[in-house]
Amino acid sequence: MSLAGFEVEVQRSAADGGVVTEDMTLSMGPQHPSTHGVLRFVVRADGEVMKEAIPDIGYLHRSIEKIAEKVGWHGFLPYTDRVDYVAAMFCNHGWTMACEVIAGIEVPKRAEYCRVIADELCRLHSHLLSVGSMAMDIGAFTPFMHAIREREYLNDLFEELCGSRLTFHYMRIGGVGWDLPPGWIEKMAHFLDRFEPLIDEYDRLISYNKIFTERLGGVAVITAEQAIDYNLVGPNLRGSGVDYDVRKDVPYSIYPELEFEVPVGTGEMGAVGDCFDRYIVRMREMRESCKILRQCIRQIPEGPVITKVPRNFKPPVGDAYVRLESARGDMGWYVVSDGTAFPHRCKIRTGSFSAISIVQLVSRNLMIADLIAVIASLDLVAPEIDR
Amino acid sequence: MGDWVQSLIDGGMVPAAIPAWVHYLTAALVFGGVIVFGFVLPIAGITTWVERRIVGRIQSRIGPNRVGPAGFLQWLADGLKSMLKEDIVPTAADGPLFRFAPYVVMTGFVGTFAALPFTSALIVADLNVGILYVTSVTALVVVGILMAGWASNNKWSLLGGIRSAAQIVSYEIPAGLSIFPIVLLTGSLSMQDIIRSQGAGPFSWYLFANPFTFVAFFVFFVSALAEGNRTPFDLPEAESELVAGFATEYSGMRSVLFFMAEWGNLYVIGAIVTTLFLGGWQIPFAFENRIVQHVLEFATFFLKSYGVGVLVPIWLRWTLPRIRVDQMMTMCWKYLVPIAFVNLLGTAAWMLWVAPWVQMLVRVTLLGATFAGILMFLRRVVYHLEYAKLGRRHLSFNPLGTARSPG
Amino acid sequence: MGLGNYLRTIKEAVQTIGEGMAVTASHMVRKPVTLEYPDRLPDDVRVQDTLPFRYRGMLEVDLEICTACLACERACPIDCIVIDAEKDKAAGGLVMTRFDIDMAKCMYCGLCSEPCPTGAIHHTPEFEGADYSLESLVRRFVKAPTIAYRPKKAGETDPQIKPILDRGLRYIAEFAKGGES
Repeated sequence: MSLAGFEVEVQRSAADGGVVTEDMTLSMGPQHPSTHGVLRFVVRADGEVMKEAIPDIGYLHRSIEKIAEKVGWHGFLPYTDRVDYVAAMFCNHGWTMACEVIAGIEVPKRAEYCRVIADELCRLHSHLLSVGSMAMDIGAFTPFMHAIREREYLNDLFEELCGSRLTFHYMRIGGVGWDLPPGWIEKMAHFLDRFEPLIDEYDRLISYNKIFTERLGGVAVITAEQAIDYNLVGPNLRGSGVDYDVRKDVPYSIYPELEFEVPVGTGEMGAVGDCFDRYIVRMREMRESCKILRQCIRQIPEGPVITKVPRNFKPPVGDAYVRLESARGDMGWYVVSDGTAFPHRCKIRTGSFSAISIVQLVSRNLMIADLIAVIASLDLVAPEIDR
Repeated sequence: MGDWVQSLIDGGMVPAAIPAWVHYLTAALVFGGVIVFGFVLPIAGITTWVERRIVGRIQSRIGPNRVGPAGFLQWLADGLKSMLKEDIVPTAADGPLFRFAPYVVMTGFVGTFAALPFTSALIVADLNVGILYVTSVTALVVVGILMAGWASNNKWSLLGGIRSAAQIVSYEIPAGLSIFPIVLLTGSLSMQDIIRSQGAGPFSWYLFANPFTFVAFFVFFVSALAEGNRTPFDLPEAESELVAGFATEYSGMRSVLFFMAEWGNLYVIGAIVTTLFLGGWQIPFAFENRIVQHVLEFATFFLKSYGVGVLVPIWLRWTLPRIRVDQMMTMCWKYLVPIAFVNLLGTAAWMLWVAPWVQMLVRVTLLGATFAGILMFLRRVVYHLEYAKLGRRHLSFNPLGTARSPG
Repeated sequence: MGLGNYLRTIKEAVQTIGEGMAVTASHMVRKPVTLEYPDRLPDDVRVQDTLPFRYRGMLEVDLEICTACLACERACPIDCIVIDAEKDKAAGGLVMTRFDIDMAKCMYCGLCSEPCPTGAIHHTPEFEGADYSLESLVRRFVKAPTIAYRPKKAGETDPQIKPILDRGLRYIAEFAKGGES
């Protein structure tokens, strides 16, 4: 891949001894074991220390937003899974919420509970992958496999619930596609009983390991002002000390009825807003999700799980912008309807897209090894960036 | 070995018309071939199998289990596959250097086997500078890695090669410094002398001789890990950062040579550690039957060096993350080197000024402390199993045992 | 950096590394969770049978109960279902001459199985669909022109069709039943 079109200014400097040095330009190319998905960074480096790492996106662009205009309201739901296939339930939820706001549909209570259960399980799913990949990028391969093992149990749960392990297509406009199968709640409770001690074990294995904390503590500190300026959301924002969570501040669905805390980075291994903070916020969020799930198990009511919507769904003219707290932060869905069976426009705002923009700022004077840590701590997933 | 060849010539077993040096050369080649193909390469290969099976269990899965019984022939299959692969040399790479680098690395690694004391009589060359020879030959690996990194014509490989050169050269210092206390205690550099001056049981190993050698053991172990490019020091081949570091452009048998050198090097580390600190091939009782004696000595040496040199680094590798370059340098120069110096001076002082009964007392204390440490560790392991609410039915002590049934 | 800091760093390093090693050692004695698919399962176990009923594997059409309503063809967002059905007075109803599903395009979303009135088109637990050519992935369900099924108001009595219909209805009964709109 040439650097044509990428005017990277290569600096040549003449030191006092008359030696001319030149920056090294590396392409951490689209195929790389640790850029999460298909990303590319053009790295200008002076040996091991980087001057800058410029992200190059677009390798995973699939025109999903344009496809929405072609396949119709119901037909677009499977495509939303692919917007962020690591945390697919949130995308389902976003699209259905937006359509329901436009059409003024009220979703039954049990359906909301089912949605929140699916969301929080998916948050566990996504965070497990995120912390696992982070550990793997730092060099510890075992925690990744343990995270994947736990994800397999979650996959089994999802498989029973909606038939699929990755692209769930669980929610429908007006509710959810399937009611909880008999015995599933007990299985989920059993999984939570097994899983919560394992988060602690994971902490003991890797989170507070001296090498790991040295690698992450104090690296790539993002202050609260920078985080807000660059539009970071989710664990990235909370890692920098800003207490903002869409579930608490702009509540939707049944979150007002649930009690949970929002973990915020405290700089325990360095400064507030370093890579370790973002990592540990995710670990704590997993524990909070378990709490939420247990409350949902206790509080879920009986009732219908969908408000039937006609096959030929034609919402009134209008638009809606809904926000929800995805695993990667504030996910925004802006949907415009022109009264026909096909949406006029769908725009998706994802957390990773803003996160990748801060990489260029934060990568100055980091080492190449730290760049990997930064990318992993920001939890970038390429499908979300490119859509 | 030289004496044996000489005896063959004198006894008329080989034609005397051919000059003696030809006989020596042939013997050297034959011996070398036997050792390399009969011992070194299988060790390196089997270690890959052992590692993959152990890693599997650490990660709640099974390792290779299809090729041969319990997957034992996997390494042969892998070697065969690599030999049949296309030999790709990048066009812009420096051809001769690129091709030569793996051989330099292998030489640096295989050359050490000439001085390893397997039993009291089974040592290819009992040099009187044995330990110095071993540490010097392993330094050839740096040259090979630098050659590989440069000749690949790939910036990532270059970075990997440079990192590795810095790492290995830096960690030679604490490694060497940790050998000196042992040399002080023995009074000789020869490997067999070092072993002979230790006794048989753990009580008389150099590991427990004084607190300074105890610390020197760990310093040496860490430095040797760093020299062998093992996690937590595997920056030069950091898989998730530099693809494969200096070995990125290598495919097929050439890359296998690099990785065999790495795995076989583990065994060499174990052998050196056993020689220096753990009493080598010494066994508590002497047998009249020389064959039994030597077999037991070989088994002792092999088990000790394999356990400490291969199994523990495998365990460490799959537990710990990777250290960054500057942190690695900090660790070497700010932590290991000063501690190694303190060890050296401390051992000298210990030998000069500490009374023998205090030495005995400290030896016993160190032994006891080690046992206590191991017990505490096992208790911690049991704690983890209980915390994860694992009953007896979730455990499997069979290392070759496998899987569950579906449903 | 003072001596206290120095020693504390070493102590923390040793402690955390030891803890990590204890966790790893505890894993070495745990049973692995691997399922040795496909060739080392007990003889009477097919993994496909252990999958849940809702599993969205490859699509299957029970032509005996297909009413040729074309609801699935309309619902599919990728247009991978192609059905040819014509009214044939002589045969007494709709006659299907083509029912092709291009499995290479199918994204296993389930939108086709939801509107089916009888559950004729449904997902099966089959997931082993790899083949050597793209054309072989087009599944053609109609071998000869077939008369479309007509659901009987009083319930199905034909003993050959009833079990298929029951299974199909059970499949679509899994989907969410709505409240009032």
